Amino acid sequence: MPSSEIAPSAAPPVARLIEAFHRLPGIGPKSAQRLTYHLIRMPLEEAQEFAAAILGVKEKVVLCDTCANLSESAECLICGDLQRDRTRICVVEEPLDVVAVERARVYSGLYHVLHGAISPVNGIGPNDLKLRELLERLRDGSVNEVIVATNPNLEGEATAMYIQQLIGPLGVLVTRLARGLPSGSDIEYADDSTLAHALASRSEIPTHGGDS
Amino acid sequence: MIGCTLTSKRPIIYTTDAVVVRASDLGEADRIITLVTPVHGLIRGVAKAARKPGSKLGGHLDLLRHVNVSVRETRSLHGLSQVSTVNGFRGLREDLDRFSRASYVSEMAERFSVENGANQPLFRMLIQVLGSLESTQNPDMVVHYFGMRLLQLNGFAPELTRCVETGAELEPANHLYSAERGGLVSNDARSVGESALLPAGLNTIKVLRFLSRTDVERADRMQVGEEENRQISRILRAQIHHILDRGLRSEAFMDEVRTRPARNGGTGKSEIASTQ
Repeated sequence: MPSSEIAPSAAPPVARLIEAFHRLPGIGPKSAQRLTYHLIRMPLEEAQEFAAAILGVKEKVVLCDTCANLSESAECLICGDLQRDRTRICVVEEPLDVVAVERARVYSGLYHVLHGAISPVNGIGPNDLKLRELLERLRDGSVNEVIVATNPNLEGEATAMYIQQLIGPLGVLVTRLARGLPSGSDIEYADDSTLAHALASRSEIPTHGGDS
Repeated sequence: MIGCTLTSKRPIIYTTDAVVVRASDLGEADRIITLVTPVHGLIRGVAKAARKPGSKLGGHLDLLRHVNVSVRETRSLHGLSQVSTVNGFRGLREDLDRFSRASYVSEMAERFSVENGANQPLFRMLIQVLGSLESTQNPDMVVHYFGMRLLQLNGFAPELTRCVETGAELEPANHLYSAERGGLVSNDARSVGESALLPAGLNTIKVLRFLSRTDVERADRMQVGEEENRQISRILRAQIHHILDRGLRSEAFMDEVRTRPARNGGTGKSEIASTQ
């Protein structure tokens, strides 16, 4: 939508900023207007910081040569950390998924970011993902396990199946994140697929040895 | 007559059966869902917080699910709530080949559907074909059946008995197919026709006629040769492309999966290990 339609009576610089915000995902015309007028009221130093942060992201952030995660140099901090388990690679759809897994503090291996998932109806096929780069990383035989952590929806599952078919012949163990009921949810609202996975992956309730 | 209820008295909130044919992210945790429905045609709605792990909607509103959903109409995107799964088509979720074909079928259904355009036969056929694709050993024919019946349902039935150039009844022989004219062209009339004519052998023509008057179970049992299969695929695709004025996005992935070397015994079924 051109700026003249979003904010017909606004001054041209204001209209341009509204239009710029409106181009961001999830920002409608009203939100774009609110953000713009918030910025107008912001102190100049803060606005300059904000602008510099945007420019910094565009000028300094590149994709890691190894894992395709966002990085400030050719090798990201995770790939450059020699303390990490280099025999495991966790494959995720987006850089934000790396942040989510890291937040859990339970995984110390490496990552590989696909930058999407197979989505036939959107015209996204395997060649649009960083799959060739993943294959290259497995060639030297140092990786024992690939953990597929794509989203637990149909497109994520399809991507996982494709990865399994692609790298299975290399003899590398391919595992998938467990699927089941999320903490805090109600069973009555669970869909059949989630319940089926939860039942299939049920586990014994541990007993406490000190009771006897 | 299709059960169309396009009157101004249509309730603002209603419940409908639907198949999820498209989903995309919106904002922090919402999803925009596109549904094919029997009475209300194509519906685009927002499922609030559907991407959050504890969402009551997210699991049900995944792609290629037959669901029952409550729709609250608005002027732009409708609100979706109270979703339950009627059929999750699990067989499509565990096999890459079946998934690719189901994606193709659902994209065809979406492209031939319009908002507020009731099409109960299309919806019924979509459910039947997705169900069939879960277990069929003959997926090519099931997809061909869907393509042919979709053309018929939307008033684009290919002319398979008379030459579209001369109007003469076709002799039982090899002929050609013109997507532009929407039917077979007699071999004798080929010089009159346009350049993009596709070969249609006698057996191909017989199978196309069979597909135009059969049901999905019989189509599933029909065995055809490789050449006939290829010709039918090219003819139906060309016809669909001509009507839609573009190709379908899911074709490339379906073709890639189909032509990849068979793995896992050729079923395409996933064998990802569990660490448990």
